[in-house]
Amino acid sequence: MKKFIRSVQSTLGLEEFDQESKKKALKVLLKKLSSRKKGIHASLKTVGSKKEENELKEELEIVKLQIKKGKKILYKLYAKK
Amino acid sequence: MLKKIFLPTIFAILAYGFWISPDFKTISAGVAIFLFGMISLEEGFRSFSGGALERVLQKSTDKLYKSISFGFVTTAIMQSSSLVSVLTISFIGAGLIGLAQGIGIILGANIGTTTGAWLMAGFGLKVKISAYAMPMLVFGMILIFQKSKGIKGFGYILTGLGFLFLGIHYMKEGFEAFKSTVDLASFAVDGFRGLMLFIGIGIVATVIMQSSHATIVLILAALAAGQITYENALALTIGANIGTTITAIIGSLSSNIDGKRLAAAHFIFNVITAVIAVLIIRQIEYGVDMISQSLGIANDNHTLKLAVFDSLFKVMGVIIFIPFVDKLVYFLESRLKESHTKKMPSSDHAKYLNESSLEIPATALAAIKRETIHLYDNAFEIIAHGLNLKRSNIVSDRDLDEVVAEPYTQSAVDIDTFYNRKIKGIYGEIIDFSTKAQSQMSPGYIEVLYHLKLANRDIVEAVKDTKHLQKNLDKYTKSDNEHIRKQYNMIRRDLAELLRTIDRAGRSEEEDTVMVLLSKAKLHTEKYDIIANGTLDNLIRHNLVTIEMATSLMNDSTYAYGISKNLIAMAEIIFTERSSEADSLSEEMAITDEDIDVILEKGQ
Repeated sequence: MKKFIRSVQSTLGLEEFDQESKKKALKVLLKKLSSRKKGIHASLKTVGSKKEENELKEELEIVKLQIKKGKKILYKLYAKK
Repeated sequence: MLKKIFLPTIFAILAYGFWISPDFKTISAGVAIFLFGMISLEEGFRSFSGGALERVLQKSTDKLYKSISFGFVTTAIMQSSSLVSVLTISFIGAGLIGLAQGIGIILGANIGTTTGAWLMAGFGLKVKISAYAMPMLVFGMILIFQKSKGIKGFGYILTGLGFLFLGIHYMKEGFEAFKSTVDLASFAVDGFRGLMLFIGIGIVATVIMQSSHATIVLILAALAAGQITYENALALTIGANIGTTITAIIGSLSSNIDGKRLAAAHFIFNVITAVIAVLIIRQIEYGVDMISQSLGIANDNHTLKLAVFDSLFKVMGVIIFIPFVDKLVYFLESRLKESHTKKMPSSDHAKYLNESSLEIPATALAAIKRETIHLYDNAFEIIAHGLNLKRSNIVSDRDLDEVVAEPYTQSAVDIDTFYNRKIKGIYGEIIDFSTKAQSQMSPGYIEVLYHLKLANRDIVEAVKDTKHLQKNLDKYTKSDNEHIRKQYNMIRRDLAELLRTIDRAGRSEEEDTVMVLLSKAKLHTEKYDIIANGTLDNLIRHNLVTIEMATSLMNDSTYAYGISKNLIAMAEIIFTERSSEADSLSEEMAITDEDIDVILEKGQ
C-alpha cells in the first residue's frame, strides 16, 4: 500500500509541491532585490552628500547579502530536487 | 427546554421511519452521506482559506459587483452557501472585510447555490452518478494521508464530492423504490394553503439538515421520482431559501456586532425575496415556462424547470436588493448597536478578536495579526509620548532633528496610565484568544501563532522599557550639561527614526522593501549603540558628564537598545508574510548579527 501511495505521489509530482511554490516566491523576491541593487548603483553615481553616499552603500551591502542568502536557499532547493 | 426535546424527537421519527420503510432508510442514508460529503468538502476548502487570504479578499470584494461575484464563484465551487456565510461572518469578525462587502458576498452566495440545482437536475439525475463517486473516494482518501496541507485539502474535496455523489445516488434509489410502495404525491396540497404548508416543510427540513443545498437535492430527487408535485416542489424551494438563514444566524451568535448584522441582512434578504416570490408566484411560473422554452427544456421536465425557478427567483431577489444595500447597511448599523455594558469606556479593547474567527485557523491568525498591529499602534503612541515627541511628526517627512527639537509637552506623560488603558487589556485579550485558537490549530499554524505571541510580548516589553527610559529622558533633555542633553536627544532621535522606519515598513506592500527597511533598522541600532561604539567611554574619559549622568546614560542606552531590538523583532513578525508559500523565507533571508558586524567593518 505504502509503495502504491509513493508511486502515486511521484507520478503526480506531489512531493515537490511545497518546494516549487517556495522556489517561485524566492525567484520573484530575488528579481526585486536585483532591480533594487541596480537602482542603488545608479543612485550612487548621482549622489550629493557623503552621508547619503554612506547610507546608499550600507543599503547596497544589505541587498547584496540578502541576494547571496536567497541564492543559497535556491541552490539548496534545486539540490534537493 | 426546546433543545432537550428536539434531538430525541428527530431520532424517534427517524427510527419509526426506518422500522416501517427500508426505502425511507435508503433515502435518509443518502441524505446523511450527502451531508457528510459537505462536511468533508468544507474541511477541504478550509485548508485553502489561509495563505494570502487578506489580499485575495481585499482585491475581490472592494466593489459591490466584485463581492457578489466572489460570493457566487466561491459558493459555486464549494457548493455550500452555509460555509460561505460562516466564512464571511468570520472575515467580518476579524476585520478583513466590512458589512457592505459581506452583504455583497451573501447576495452572490445565494445565486451560487443555484448551480447545485443545475448540476443535480442536469447531470446528477441523468447519469449513474455513483460510478464517479467510487474513484473519487479512493483517490481522495490517498490524498488525505499526504503531509502537505494543500494536497490533504484537495483530498478532502475529492472525498467530499465522492460522498455527495454517493448520497445523491442513494436518494435517487430510495425515491425510486419508495414509489412502488407509497405514493407521496397523493399527499400533495393545492392552492395557497399548499404553498404555505410546503414552504413550512422546506424551512423545517433545511433547519434540520443545516443545508439548503441538501434540501434542494432531496426535492429534485423526489420530484424526479414523481413523489411530489411541481407546485409543491417550488414551495419547498422557497422554504429552503428561508431555512438556510438559520445556519448564518447560529454562526453569528458568537460573532461581533458586524457578524450579527450580516446574519440579519441575510435573513431580511431571504425572507423578503420569499415574500415577493409568494406574491408573484404565478408570474414567476410563467417566466420559468418562457425561459425553459427558450432553453429547449421540455414542458414536463420538472426537475430542470425547478432549477430554472430556483435561479430566476434568487437572481430576481438579488437584482431587487442591489439598490438597497447601502440603506440596509445604514438600517442595520442604526438598529443593531454594540453593547458597551461590560467595557470600561476609558479603556481600549480588542477590535478583531471574536469567537466566530476561532472556527477557521487562518482567520483566527489574521484576527490576531490585526489585533497585534492595533496593539502596536497604541504602543507607538505611548513610546512617542514617552520620548516627548508628536506621533504625527514622527510619521511625517519632516527632518528628525527638527522633530526632536519640538517637544510634545512640558511635563512628562504618565506611561503607567497609558499602559493600563491601552496595552494591558488588549494584550490579555490577545493571549486569551490565542490560547483558545491554538486548540484547533495544526502544528504549522501553531508555529505562526507562537511568533505572533512573541511579537506581542516584544511590544509590551518595548512599552515597559520606555517607561524606565522616560524618567531620565525628561530630566536630562532639560539639563544644563549640553553633552548629556545631546546624548539623550540622540536617543530620542534614533528611536524616532526607528518608529518612522517601522511605520514605512508597515505601509509597504513590497516584501523586498520591508526586508531592506528592517535590515537597515537593525544596522542602525547596532551602529548607534553608544555603549558599543565608545561614545560613553569618551564622555567619561574627558569628564564631560558626572558619574551619576554616566550611569543613567549607560542604563538608558540599554533600555533604548532593548526597545529597538524588541520593535524590530516585532516588525519582522507582523510585517512579513509568514503564512504564504514563501513561508519562513523572510526569516531565512534576514540579516544576522554577524552580517551586521561584517557590514560595519566594511564601512569603517
